[in-house]
Amino acid sequence: MPASLNRRQLLSRSTAAGFFMVAGQWLWLTPQEAQARAFEPQILSPDQCNALSSLGDAFVPGAAAGGIAAYIDLQLQAGDDSLLIGKYLGVDTSAQTGFYRAAADNVIALTDESTSLQTFIADMAADSLSNWAGPPASYVLFVLRADALDVVYGTPEGFDTLGIPYMAHIKPEKPW
Amino acid sequence: MVIEKQDVVIVGAGAAGLMLAARLAEGGQSVTVLEAGPERKLNDLVSSQIWARKLKWSEPAVSESGDHKIGHAFNAGSGTGGSALHHYGVWLRMHEGDFSLNSNHGVGLDWPLDYAALAPHYDRVQSEVGLSGDSVQERWRPQGAPYPMPPLPLFTQSRLLAKGFEKTGRHTAPLPLAINSEPYQGRQSCQYDGWCDAGCPIGALGNPLVVWLPRALAAGAKLEHNARASRVIRSAKNTQLIESVEYLQDGERKTIQADRIIIAAFAVQSVRILLSSATQQHAAPGDHSDKLGRYLMTHPAATIFGLFAEETYPHQGVTAGQLLNHDDYDKKDAPGGFGSSQWMIGHAIKPHDLLGYGTNRPDITGAALEPWLKRASRHLGNMTLVCEDIALPDNRITLSEKVGPEGIAYAHAHHDLDATAAARWTQRMSEGADIMRAAGASEVWSGPRIGQHIMGGAVMGEDPAESVTDAFGRVHDTDNLYVAGPALFPSSGAVNPTFTISALASRQADHLLNQ
Repeated sequence: MPASLNRRQLLSRSTAAGFFMVAGQWLWLTPQEAQARAFEPQILSPDQCNALSSLGDAFVPGAAAGGIAAYIDLQLQAGDDSLLIGKYLGVDTSAQTGFYRAAADNVIALTDESTSLQTFIADMAADSLSNWAGPPASYVLFVLRADALDVVYGTPEGFDTLGIPYMAHIKPEKPW
Repeated sequence: MVIEKQDVVIVGAGAAGLMLAARLAEGGQSVTVLEAGPERKLNDLVSSQIWARKLKWSEPAVSESGDHKIGHAFNAGSGTGGSALHHYGVWLRMHEGDFSLNSNHGVGLDWPLDYAALAPHYDRVQSEVGLSGDSVQERWRPQGAPYPMPPLPLFTQSRLLAKGFEKTGRHTAPLPLAINSEPYQGRQSCQYDGWCDAGCPIGALGNPLVVWLPRALAAGAKLEHNARASRVIRSAKNTQLIESVEYLQDGERKTIQADRIIIAAFAVQSVRILLSSATQQHAAPGDHSDKLGRYLMTHPAATIFGLFAEETYPHQGVTAGQLLNHDDYDKKDAPGGFGSSQWMIGHAIKPHDLLGYGTNRPDITGAALEPWLKRASRHLGNMTLVCEDIALPDNRITLSEKVGPEGIAYAHAHHDLDATAAARWTQRMSEGADIMRAAGASEVWSGPRIGQHIMGGAVMGEDPAESVTDAFGRVHDTDNLYVAGPALFPSSGAVNPTFTISALASRQADHLLNQ
């Protein structure tokens, strides 16, 4: 994030939108916009972002365009203030960067262009991927799928897609 | 700026801490509350499950072990209001039998007081906070004053699920809630949108920001936020006297002195503060008999879901649910396991986040997901089982080897579920599936067993050799140090603890003012 902002200033504005590096400039964007503008991740590598994006989208169609990689990278930058659901699921904020990097590296190592992601997901669910490293694949599936649900359906627009009235008292900042 | 010596310093601005601040300040005491987290205001409570995670405890994280972990990251809060800021408002009284588990059943611990001692405080607090319910339909309820407000209206989902209970010979009653069914003491009534987990900014749910904080501030109590208590310090002249609290704020290590100190920092952090107060010369306050940190409890809970042909509109209502079943509550010894159990029925539910219906079907991915979510959004029913935990000495909070950059030790929580309690949970879950099918569900599944609510660690008791505090929360080996909140509980019952936390704090407040 820009050196001129400290983390508290960054987070006080919005947890949905954030500063993303695009073409060498810090821009205030939503994760969806950041994804569309080929943001430069700060914590994950571009390949790791692509891997999480592909897998997240396979879990929950729309997660890639919704900016799941940008969302995760942004929240990882927040450190202790990360809002990723992982902290409810046993992935403490201090462990989240390692968790997502390991997840992405597994996908990179174990898939190629010929891989059926649906088959890969079934193998993750069954913990039957023999060279999977780190936290169990089924656990990673649960966490990353929950992130994808956040990105696609945890917004007023996502509720609208499902035909649910959002009924906010205080609306979250757009574009969630 | 050095804060002058206070009559009372309270650590923790949650349900117990802010009630004590209000009552003691109104009683003429000078009170300062130290809260580890940031100041929270009603307009911070954004309607988003993602934003809601801001309200939860984050760092220093509590490490956990055991076969039934306490789920600290979900259950604990941070900032003004504590975990009560995002609690769902289920306010149930413990039953008479919950107070004498060891005497009656030979397991767990007894409380050093009975229901009769708490009853007047349940009555007083429910009037101050505002509870809605039906004390007649709630046939299992212990004796007490009627609720000040009628129950919330019943929505479609709950009416449907109630049929399942009726068909299986079970009774339901409105769930008693600290949620306004009508305007109450200047606070508006609920709008039934199910954003309770994100905190209620309109004051319909009786969280500490709208109930106790205004009273505390009006009576002159002071709050210090981002003030993380590290330890309490004994007097050098009289080791029974705790003279101050050390805390970290703005990068500085500070102390504040008080005649009486109340640790109301929720179960885990309260114990952490006490354990961190040990010195080379003295054991930690309350650890005189190696009971500090022990008897940690969390309710084994799980949600059962069903899909129905009828439309159920599960977005309507409140997160807590609408109906209650306590038919088996007082049958702790029933065959098949041990312990009380309850059903909370008809939660207003979101598609995502920890409790969301989309999250709890990880088997559905890809192209099949959205059609399924759309169907569930209109045809889902859900209800939650809460079972009793048994206080075991090896379930405990200890200091972790990990120390934060400010020198504050992290806490570790270990919790295993007693086999008889686990058996009771399995038994009731099977019954719950039957109830859901009796209600007409064509597809029934359940979420994982989770730990709901955190209790124990600084248990109260008559015998100092078997407990940490006396019946008023005074730490046994001190004259002036108290614990408030769920850390005091010697048993869990199978009810949500906030009402009992508040009633206990009310009793403590009266005791402290009468000393």
